[in-house]
Amino acid sequence: MMVSASSASLIRAGIPAILLLLLGGCGTTIDESVTTPGALTERPATFRNEQLIGKWGVASYREEKDRRRVEAQARAQCRLPYVIAKGPSDGVMMHLADDAKLYELRIKGGSDGKTYLGPEAPPGEWQDREILSITDKEMIMRFVDPEVHGRYGTFIYVRCPG
Amino acid sequence: MTIRPPSLPRLSAFTRRRTGLILAGLAVMAISGAANGRQQATPISMDIGDEPGRVATAEQIVEDGPFARQLVFFRSAEPPGTIVIHTSERFLYVVQGNNRALRYGIGVGREGFQWSGLVRVSRKAEWPDWTPPPEMIARQPYLPRFMAGGPGNPMGARALYLGSTVYRIHGTNQPETIGHAVSSGCFRLANGDVIDLFERIAVGAKVIIRHGASI
Repeated sequence: MMVSASSASLIRAGIPAILLLLLGGCGTTIDESVTTPGALTERPATFRNEQLIGKWGVASYREEKDRRRVEAQARAQCRLPYVIAKGPSDGVMMHLADDAKLYELRIKGGSDGKTYLGPEAPPGEWQDREILSITDKEMIMRFVDPEVHGRYGTFIYVRCPG
Repeated sequence: MTIRPPSLPRLSAFTRRRTGLILAGLAVMAISGAANGRQQATPISMDIGDEPGRVATAEQIVEDGPFARQLVFFRSAEPPGTIVIHTSERFLYVVQGNNRALRYGIGVGREGFQWSGLVRVSRKAEWPDWTPPPEMIARQPYLPRFMAGGPGNPMGARALYLGSTVYRIHGTNQPETIGHAVSSGCFRLANGDVIDLFERIAVGAKVIIRHGASI
């Protein structure tokens, strides 16, 4: 059975949402500042898809106090880099949360002033990542879905040499 | 997630609610057993991979059954504070003296990943970091290559590092795997139990890992 990225993501988004409703107050720390999906309209994005292409060391953290050392750990992970390639429609080939398949994603500017990365859909959808920053050497992202963000935390990508 | 559990330890109320949802549809067979004396845990493997990102809290303990933390009769010449692990039984004992030991249910290495030896606790860590092994990255390429310690981390709430080996006694975000052979050679306890163990054991403590059939 073929499942599209959108429908698969809806299913994934729906199950944790139900679990969260049933298990409210059960200890998962969720960052309230994470954007929840809304009716955002698309604006020109601050960043370009091409900025993501390359090899990256990837690490994640949940608490700000860990950020600096996790950044160093991300750099050390270049021996097993995450490779982002250009997609057939000028997007980038990356994974969604908890899904081993590659999808073509693209950067989307949101009417809330934030920048998102995700499949073809309005900015800020459940399966999107919010891009917090991008430089030539580093990018920081987190998943829009609060449940996924609560589990994985914030991702730091450090560009690998070569 | 593929699971072939013949039996599951009974967990705290919170854990039951959560794992009950996750494992909905699976028949759960209760494990019965007396509080004292040795009991042979069913040595059956559970086909379940690590689930990084799945959140477990520090309060989770095995609530009852043979894998619950309990004081048992345990004949040993080792000094109090020594850890004795019986891989085949899925038990970890902390020698108390006077032929008594505190016993914890554990998850152990799957077939081919079990070992025996004598080591000492070389280090202790709260909410340890986790680096997924390359074969896991190959299966789950979306994972971060390093995850800072926290409730979504497969290493759980505490870790006791065993000598200079790559093995540890640690917590887990999969408490339903206690009593099963699922790991890559580490020994896992429910988070609440590993916190209890962590407080009792000092760096330098002797750890004896026995892999053979129990006496």
